Amino acid sequence: MTAVILAAVVGALFALGTFLLLRRDLIRVVWGLAIISQAANVYLLAMGGLADASADSVPILAGHGEHVPQTADPLVQALVLTAIVIGFGMTAFALVLSYRVYEEHDTLDVSELGDRDR
Amino acid sequence: MPPELSVVLAAVALPFVAAVSTPVLYRLLGERTGYAGVAVALASFLLLASQRGTEGTVGLEWIPSLDVALRFYLDGWGLLFAMLACGIGTLIFLYSPAYMHGEPHLARFYTALLAFMGSIVGVALAADLIAIFLFWELTSLCSFVLIGHYTADDSSQYASRMAMFITVGGGLFLLVGLLLLSIVAGDVVGPDAAFNLAAMLETPEAMAEGLREQGLFLPVLALLAIGAGTKSAQVPLHFWLPNAMAAPTPVSAFLHSATMVKVGVYFIGRMRPILVGEEWLFLFATLGLTTMTVCAIMAVAATDIKELLAYSTASHLGLMVAGFGFTSIYGAETGVFHLLNHALFKAALFLVAGIVAHEAGTRNIDNLGGLRHDLPVTAIITVIVALSMAGIPPFNGFYSKELLFEAAVEASHHHDIGVLGVLYPAVAVFGSVFTVLYSLRFLSLFFGDRPDALGHVHRPSTTLVVAPGVLALLAAVVSVEPQLAVDVIVQSGLDATALEHHEMHVSLPTSYSPPVGMSAITIVLGLAAYPFYDRIHDGLNAALDAAPLIAANWWYDAIVGGLTGGGALVGDRIHNGLLRTYATWTLLGTCGLALAGFVAAGTVASSELIDFDAAPAVALVLLVAVVAGLAVALSDSHIAGVLTLSILGFMVAIFYILASAPDLALTQLVVETLVLLIFLLVIEEIPEYYEVSLGKYARDAVVSLAVGATAFITVLVTTDARPEGSTDIARVYAEQAVPEGGGTNIVNVTLVDFRGFDTMGELVVVAMAAISILTLIVMRSGGDDE
Repeated sequence: MTAVILAAVVGALFALGTFLLLRRDLIRVVWGLAIISQAANVYLLAMGGLADASADSVPILAGHGEHVPQTADPLVQALVLTAIVIGFGMTAFALVLSYRVYEEHDTLDVSELGDRDR
Repeated sequence: MPPELSVVLAAVALPFVAAVSTPVLYRLLGERTGYAGVAVALASFLLLASQRGTEGTVGLEWIPSLDVALRFYLDGWGLLFAMLACGIGTLIFLYSPAYMHGEPHLARFYTALLAFMGSIVGVALAADLIAIFLFWELTSLCSFVLIGHYTADDSSQYASRMAMFITVGGGLFLLVGLLLLSIVAGDVVGPDAAFNLAAMLETPEAMAEGLREQGLFLPVLALLAIGAGTKSAQVPLHFWLPNAMAAPTPVSAFLHSATMVKVGVYFIGRMRPILVGEEWLFLFATLGLTTMTVCAIMAVAATDIKELLAYSTASHLGLMVAGFGFTSIYGAETGVFHLLNHALFKAALFLVAGIVAHEAGTRNIDNLGGLRHDLPVTAIITVIVALSMAGIPPFNGFYSKELLFEAAVEASHHHDIGVLGVLYPAVAVFGSVFTVLYSLRFLSLFFGDRPDALGHVHRPSTTLVVAPGVLALLAAVVSVEPQLAVDVIVQSGLDATALEHHEMHVSLPTSYSPPVGMSAITIVLGLAAYPFYDRIHDGLNAALDAAPLIAANWWYDAIVGGLTGGGALVGDRIHNGLLRTYATWTLLGTCGLALAGFVAAGTVASSELIDFDAAPAVALVLLVAVVAGLAVALSDSHIAGVLTLSILGFMVAIFYILASAPDLALTQLVVETLVLLIFLLVIEEIPEYYEVSLGKYARDAVVSLAVGATAFITVLVTTDARPEGSTDIARVYAEQAVPEGGGTNIVNVTLVDFRGFDTMGELVVVAMAAISILTLIVMRSGGDDE
């Protein structure tokens, strides 16, 4: 297992994503979201156990025979696949929303966009 | 003899049906809707009366497989309370049309009154703990609506909020108590009857033993006492009741003297067979006698007739609680008999107070007097009920008070309670002296000289006088022939609340006994002190003014005001309209909770997992990904950021390949390409280099490091907790992919076959995102320009 290295990478990506999330530039906030969701995907996949890559470990069966080899966990792969697609939808929407915000307010500074009546 | 289900159902449902149809009735009948209420209340009363003498559980199966049913449990105690509510309700509906003449919101008023009556019958007869709780809270809700009847009046709104806050809050304590009770009941009477109160009451000793074995006896007792104490206005949570007098007088007479406030007393009586014991005695006898005395003193200090009656109500509720608190048979007799007596005289007194206020135009005690000339019939009624309240023989209040004295004296014979054995009777006498005082003061409104300030007093209409007249008549009957009341209803109520069967006999005492002596002392002291009433009254008020801290109102205002102010302050800090504030609080909060959870669960990364033999290829790819992430964070232009973000995405795709997940890698590559394109398209539209002062680096870095560290720990801890080998689900999916799904790619079969609905949900999300994006882009050309 590569627990420590993996933990360090996920932790670092989370930290970088958070840092971007706290910026005032809306585009950077979207980047932060994207990085955090990438890190979460990596983490989720790692939860299924990281097997050494080989022909048997890929969760695609060789044929319609009875033998089912020990493969990498297909369940987490299905979960992550869903997560990737949802993440894509979210990023695309957030981006276009930022674009609209810029068109309406001529700024992407979230501190100016905040409740300005206050 | 078992009760008849259809009759019981009709008695409970009728008021609710009437409540729902009140808006229509009001259109047809106008102010005479009250008389329709009389018919409904009387019908329920007669239905219940027909079930007198029956005992048992009847139920309507609802979902038999889950053991969910609408069950009712009838016995003497429940019937007494339910019939009391319907009987007094009948008179209140008779009284209301004349009293509420010309008032606004009458449809709402009658709806709430009817719904309230139904809820009380429900509380009294429900056999299911959850149903009891629901009806219980429903009475609080109706009380809230009725106290706040005058919506334009601030003090009325304040009072209704206070009543709601206290009684519903207490109800939540009750709920927890009931749930604990059901846990024990599940073991003792069987899991099928975990919420069935009737089943628990059949085996009270086993329930008590079960509670003690599991160490839940004291918690359950305390929680139920808080619930009942808030509802029945026990010290120190009594203060909502005097404030609730902001309600119209029929409501005060109905809810806040005869019925709703007695729900707590009723429930104490209900649970008495299960929970009675030494702790029970200490808790309820002390609580009840304290309330009785404190509130009697407060009633003497009152300046408004309704305030006087409100404090007196709380005081008498204390008397009933104390009665049930005493473990001897006299204790149960006190509680049951006084519940009836108090309802008769106190509801009548409130209705009299309503007549006085309505006809004389003032409720201030000092401005009233000599009303016997103007209101002769009302004066006769008042003589009966006020002397009954004072506990003067031979009026009915005397009998139940005598029983309380008897129970207080008996307490030391049954339990070794030391000095309390003397203190209980002494406090009971002391509190009762004040009862005599304020009762005489109320009576004096009708005697003595008319104050000059008092203007013309109108004659009340007949229906106003009939209602208290009927109550006074009943009180008189019970006074003359108390044994009749005992035989008709009190005895059966006693059997349900007492531990053993006991033939109850009530009559005027013919020889000396300690309780007779105590009664004599009470009355003599009360009469002797009455000439000094004004001095006592002024002295008490001066003492209350001098020490605001002993007033419960002050504490309520301080706590509620503090919560409101504190809430606004926290809201301003957390909810200030800045994204970074929200993100900071959310992330740090999540991290804090996650770490606290790990600490609480005692999870630590085991040392054997800490090794560095990662496959060099994986380590390298991930390292590049992190470097790319760093470059994104530090990029000073949008273009550079987008491109480095893309590098990160492609590195993750390669990681997927190395982790034997080709499908993920393919998807990731497609998605990354698309994201890159969209980013580039969007960035083209906004300035190439968008100047943003970064600022506050240090703080952000700390937050980021905290989040990163939490993620690091989480990964270490959780990969450690994962079981070895593949999980059951994964194995089943792999084995069934070909036979069930007909495909060799397990991930694909999972997505489109085993978890097809999830995938459909995912498609919906993507479709919604696409539609939203289209809308956002097209909207601009639609001319929506600010």
